[in-house]
Amino acid sequence: MTDSGPRILVVDDEQAVRRFLHTSLSAHGYNVFDAVNGQEALTAVVAHRPDLVLLDLGLPGLDGIEVTRRLREWTQLPIIIVTVQEQERAKIAALDAGADDYVTKPFGMGELLARVRAALRRAASPAAEPRFSSGQLAVDLSRRLVTVGEHEVQLTPTEYDLLRALVINAGKVLTHRQLLRQVWGAGYETETHLLRVNMSNLRHKLEPDAARPSYILTEPGVGYRLRVNA
Amino acid sequence: MSTETRLSRLEVIPRREVTRPRRAWQNYAWSVALVAVISAIGVPIHTVISSTNLVMLYLAAVVAAALYLGRGPAILASALGVLAFDFFLIEPRLTLTVADTEYIFTFIGLFAVSLVVSTLAARSQEQAEAARKREAQAIALYELSRDLATTSELDSILQVVIRHVSETFSRAAAILLPAGGELAQRAASPGFALDENGLAVAAWSFRQGQPAGRGTDTLSAAAVRCIPLKTARGVVGVLSVKPVDPATHLLPEQRRLLEAFASQAALAIERAELAEQARQTQISQATEELHRALLNSVSHDLRTPLVAITGTLSSLEEDGACLEESAQRSLITMAREEAERLNRLVGNLLDMTRIEAGVLRATEEPCDVQEVISAALDRLGSRLDRRPVTIEAPAVLAPMDFVLMAQVLTNLLDNALKYSPPGTPIDIRARVADGMLEISVLDRGFGVPKEDLGRIFDKFYRVQRAEGMGGTGLGLAICKGIIEAHRGHIWAQNRPGGGTIVTVALPREPVAADPGSETL
Repeated sequence: MTDSGPRILVVDDEQAVRRFLHTSLSAHGYNVFDAVNGQEALTAVVAHRPDLVLLDLGLPGLDGIEVTRRLREWTQLPIIIVTVQEQERAKIAALDAGADDYVTKPFGMGELLARVRAALRRAASPAAEPRFSSGQLAVDLSRRLVTVGEHEVQLTPTEYDLLRALVINAGKVLTHRQLLRQVWGAGYETETHLLRVNMSNLRHKLEPDAARPSYILTEPGVGYRLRVNA
Repeated sequence: MSTETRLSRLEVIPRREVTRPRRAWQNYAWSVALVAVISAIGVPIHTVISSTNLVMLYLAAVVAAALYLGRGPAILASALGVLAFDFFLIEPRLTLTVADTEYIFTFIGLFAVSLVVSTLAARSQEQAEAARKREAQAIALYELSRDLATTSELDSILQVVIRHVSETFSRAAAILLPAGGELAQRAASPGFALDENGLAVAAWSFRQGQPAGRGTDTLSAAAVRCIPLKTARGVVGVLSVKPVDPATHLLPEQRRLLEAFASQAALAIERAELAEQARQTQISQATEELHRALLNSVSHDLRTPLVAITGTLSSLEEDGACLEESAQRSLITMAREEAERLNRLVGNLLDMTRIEAGVLRATEEPCDVQEVISAALDRLGSRLDRRPVTIEAPAVLAPMDFVLMAQVLTNLLDNALKYSPPGTPIDIRARVADGMLEISVLDRGFGVPKEDLGRIFDKFYRVQRAEGMGGTGLGLAICKGIIEAHRGHIWAQNRPGGGTIVTVALPREPVAADPGSETL
């Protein structure tokens, strides 16, 4: 096994899951370390200095949310949460606590690898590009210019702020709470309807078919994600 | 005297008002008056009509007294009649001495005939009275059985019996039925409850199948009389009565009537219990059938994907080398699809369990209807690729749990895909009507038989189809559970021109998502 590939810490209490992730990720050139619980994960992060943590939410003892909080106290290393469908609230709490992304068990390897690559890429270039484009949509943050195809799109200040928050975090899931805090400010975190209304308007201006959005994706119950074109 | 008392007591029979007989002393007064009237008529005319013929008038008075006043007054009338005849009409008049000894025979004859006539008349009266009483009893019994015939539910049967017993016998009544090995009071007249002593009497009566308590040979010191409710199959319970007025006692014919009531009641109770048993058997059979169907369905649906996955894996493990790459690939794809199906099934079972356990909570917050629809379409992914999908939805917000509602629509769309031919269109329409948000999913599929429209939302219910269609019959039941958690409705109808429409309606707060409402 070479030591050159990115280092990934897999935290899961199920041996079957650890084994499958170890094998599959190693095969894709990653250096994989294991931890079976939260406490071990915190030590392993210090010991192995991974580039990314794959963190199961339903850990015995110290749970995934708490591990995320403790890690975020001192490091910005990418954390991808692994959940099951029934842990909706825990998932949102972990994302709010600073986790970068999530995958839901059972997941396909393709999906997981895409998330891992995107998280590593974001971590490698923390400064956002001033220009973003995806399909027909182009956003130039330095000139506050939004175009779809040839046409410039007129956005209200709120809609623009919303889009800007998504562009800065392109490819990353942003929770409702995070978006509300970034765009409206602290104290507005529960005013979901503001977000829904502006998101609906923004989509009608940007998306060719607002009913089946292709740029701003809905993460049901969690938040939104701006799709990054390969 | 005793006859009189007896008569008046037996008059206590419902809905058949008979004028009560006059009191005894009144009858005797009437009989004296009758003799006086006859004498008053006889005195002026005795000069015209011979005395021996006037005897007939007194005889008539005795017959009248026997018919209308009873036996005692009739005997009084005959005695008074003889005396009056002697006093007023026989020489020397106004004295009881008799000049002509012939008249002694007349007196004896008059008195003897009077006695015989009055006895015969009184007997026929008594027979008529007895017949009337029998009729009254028959009517009481008939009314009880008529009321019982129209009742099939056990508690109403008991109420009917209690009501008839207390009305007919002026007694508080209670019915005790065995429950869990113990005899327990099941129904009673208002305010009447057996005390411990009464319960012991009832228990004895139940065990022995014999009447017990007040007025019987056993435990006669008790305040209540207990009659076992006996049928050919055994004792089904105990009827217990307690007089409203402790001084009154049941007469033999009343006892017989009460026993007749008890056997009517016993038959009715037995009938109700048998019907209930039959119903329970039916229910448990149906439940058993449902469980069997559920086990079959779940074990089949859980195993099928596992068979495919295990088969694929073992085939790759054992002869992966000799399989062509395209064959390997198709095996793997199939196994992955089966694994996804298994995951959906487990998810459905978990959701259903949550709904059944009542732990499913809808966290309602304003959601964009279009967004919910697109989330559902997203989840179905490539399965919708070959289907023309049209969406008509206003940009409105409505309070709902986004994830749960997306799941409802996913299930509805999944059904539409499953039960309509490939390539046919699927339409999604949302509208606001009567303060409700309605979202419908319309397909051009096979429709639903009319009799099944209401039942397709039942757990594990599947419309019978010739070919085995996938699905657990849980999807729509889950939708129903989620919609009900939102205080909404879900229903299905057949679409004009073919196909099915399933509509969900949610209560809606008026929050409009138009740009004008936004303040910046």
